[in-house]
Amino acid sequence: MNVEITDLTRRFGRTQAVASVDLDLGPGVFGLLGPNGAGKTSLLRMLATVIPPSSGTLRLLGRDPGSYPQRRQIRRRLGYLPQDLGYYPGFTVAEFVEYFALLKEMPPNRVPAAVATAVERTGLGDKARAKLRTLSGGMLRRAGIAQAIVNEPELLLLDEPTAGLDPEQRVTFRALLRDLGQRATVVVSTHLVEDVGAACSQVALMNQGKIVFCGTPEELTARAEGTDAAGDAPLERGYSAVLAAARTGTEAQS
Amino acid sequence: MTTATAPVAPAAPARPRRVALPGPARLLRLELRRNIMPWLLPLLAVLFWFVTYRPAMANPPFWNVRSAIVQSHTMLAFAPLLAGAAAWAGSRDRRRGVADLVDMTALPRWAGQLAAWAATTCWAEAIYLAGVAVLYVVTAHQGAWGGPLWWPVAVGAAFVAASCALGFTAGSLLPSRFTAPVAAFVMFLALAGCAFALQANVTYAQIWPLNVQGALPSDSYGIFYPYLPDLPITQLMFLAGLAAAALGGLGLPTAAGGRWLRRAAAAVTAAGLAAAGTGVVLAGTARLEAHGIVVPALHDAASGRPTPYTPVCSHTAVPICLQPAYRALLPDVTAALGPVLSQVADLPGMPARVTQVAVTSVHAEPSNGIGFGGPVISGHPPVLYLPLAGLTLPGEGNTPATQFIAGLRQQDGPSILSVLVGLPGQIPAQSGLGGINSIPNPRHFAQVAVVDGMVRVLGLGQPGPLSTPIQHGTSSGEQQVLAAAQRFAALPAATRHAWLVTHLAALRADRISVSEIP
Repeated sequence: MNVEITDLTRRFGRTQAVASVDLDLGPGVFGLLGPNGAGKTSLLRMLATVIPPSSGTLRLLGRDPGSYPQRRQIRRRLGYLPQDLGYYPGFTVAEFVEYFALLKEMPPNRVPAAVATAVERTGLGDKARAKLRTLSGGMLRRAGIAQAIVNEPELLLLDEPTAGLDPEQRVTFRALLRDLGQRATVVVSTHLVEDVGAACSQVALMNQGKIVFCGTPEELTARAEGTDAAGDAPLERGYSAVLAAARTGTEAQS
Repeated sequence: MTTATAPVAPAAPARPRRVALPGPARLLRLELRRNIMPWLLPLLAVLFWFVTYRPAMANPPFWNVRSAIVQSHTMLAFAPLLAGAAAWAGSRDRRRGVADLVDMTALPRWAGQLAAWAATTCWAEAIYLAGVAVLYVVTAHQGAWGGPLWWPVAVGAAFVAASCALGFTAGSLLPSRFTAPVAAFVMFLALAGCAFALQANVTYAQIWPLNVQGALPSDSYGIFYPYLPDLPITQLMFLAGLAAAALGGLGLPTAAGGRWLRRAAAAVTAAGLAAAGTGVVLAGTARLEAHGIVVPALHDAASGRPTPYTPVCSHTAVPICLQPAYRALLPDVTAALGPVLSQVADLPGMPARVTQVAVTSVHAEPSNGIGFGGPVISGHPPVLYLPLAGLTLPGEGNTPATQFIAGLRQQDGPSILSVLVGLPGQIPAQSGLGGINSIPNPRHFAQVAVVDGMVRVLGLGQPGPLSTPIQHGTSSGEQQVLAAAQRFAALPAATRHAWLVTHLAALRADRISVSEIP
């Protein structure tokens, strides 16, 4: 298992962003769905070793991120695209990707080829020399994906990766996700259930910091059967049904 | 985007090179290429031109003068700007929202930040050293005597690095778009505070690199004697300590790296603070001497040995010999002292030669002023030892040669005449143009009257006895001296000269009264 999570909790003051999450993930594309404020980004940031958990156990790529030497080893094999991607306007696409390749401690002799591959795979080959400040939002997103995959990560964490991409790019990106998922664990946090349906082999749905569903997209779709859940697509209806059930349960508990 | 997994042809900018640079070198190259500092280079170049180069070129080509301007002027102009720019670079990750991305990479955050600081500092040092190189090359082409002084350049370079380190750390620890202007302003305030502290004679303020060799005149250090490195060493300790403490501070936050790395950062910070503190303490023990600032704990007695040189001399009746750094001033000095020396030539005890010497003593005066010893006649045959301290040299601040000649004549002419007649005590070289401002004793009235008469003859400005009331004389003493001086000045030159030849020995021995002066 590349990701082993047991009873993971993260608090920000009195707010519990992630509450007692258990999850085991192997290679494949894993979709993380949930409404705003469900805790998806907090979970992803813990998986990215940006923030430590408040309690619980977390093992990534067979290592404990609580130990600094092991955390470094994890980070060398990790890719992360944050929800709000910052960038250096004066850097070119290639420089931006190279910068993160170096920060990820890739062997220097492998960096140029890896940068070129990542830039090509995200469809930015003709923009490699363009300054980031000249790119559109969708292109910036792709530059962010390029830096995330430049080190061929074994664990790739993508927070809203398709935001800002046009439909054609989104389709291509889903294919890229499927390809990456053959060898690595790819965790995709998204609002767009069609992304999950098209690219993910497994999906989890979070609500109020908890995982209220974990299974395949087909299983999620099946949850809508026999309900009057809203949604334009079967997966959307499954999403709505699970979420409605979770909310009812929460209300019943309270 | 493509799903192809086979190797893809590398994009043009990332083409593999024959020799792969190591990771830190590649990172530094990237940071150098995308640093903010190149945008500031034109501004820094213009500042260097106006604040350093032009004032330096307005001075005679002395290495010590030029290097002192390099150290003090450049830092005054550069430091606030560099601190601000470095703060901008240091706050980059937070301002740009890249902090999460950077924090989750394997390379310790401290190492990445050091690369960004190093790139910022490299650019700043490059423009500073390029400016120094231009200035030094021009100075060498102007025929400056001796060799370039590197201590001021080293102090300046250390100040550049320290300014960048302080600014970068401020930007990194307090990231905001306002950090850069605040850092620049704080640095400006620190420099201004240092300038005021130096004016107020605060000993510890000497540690600031705006201070080169205290308030010593240019011929007091680095020409007749080696440039004393005592103060520059303490300044280097202080600046290197500040830089180390600031850079170590970058490694203290938890996100900066692992436990051992943060311990190392803490050690660097502590060592930096210790070095800076030691520098300040040493600067507190510094004292001003005739040839520079001496820090007892660092002073090397060997640096007190004079620098050997072959003087350049005029081909006049009384040769005037200058230190070769002052070669260009020989005609002006000869023009200034020639008329005085011709009046007293071949008198018994008159100097056979005039030799320029370094300042031999310094003494503090009110308002942060410093007094220097004046000319002295001694030896057999007598030699007039003449310091040129306290004079504005031709070219310095657009001073014309005529002004220098008049100033030298009026400053040293009366002094030479006083020495000639044996007036006791030194007459300060800066005692005013032609003024003999105090008369030590009424028994020297005859000597004062003779000097005053000669001053009138030579037109060396306002005669002395009229400028200040006589301290210990009778109410009629001043009138007696004045009358004698006027009588003596009215004598024909030959008569005056003949009287001096006959009576100079008695005059020196106080055996001549005012009434005996013809």
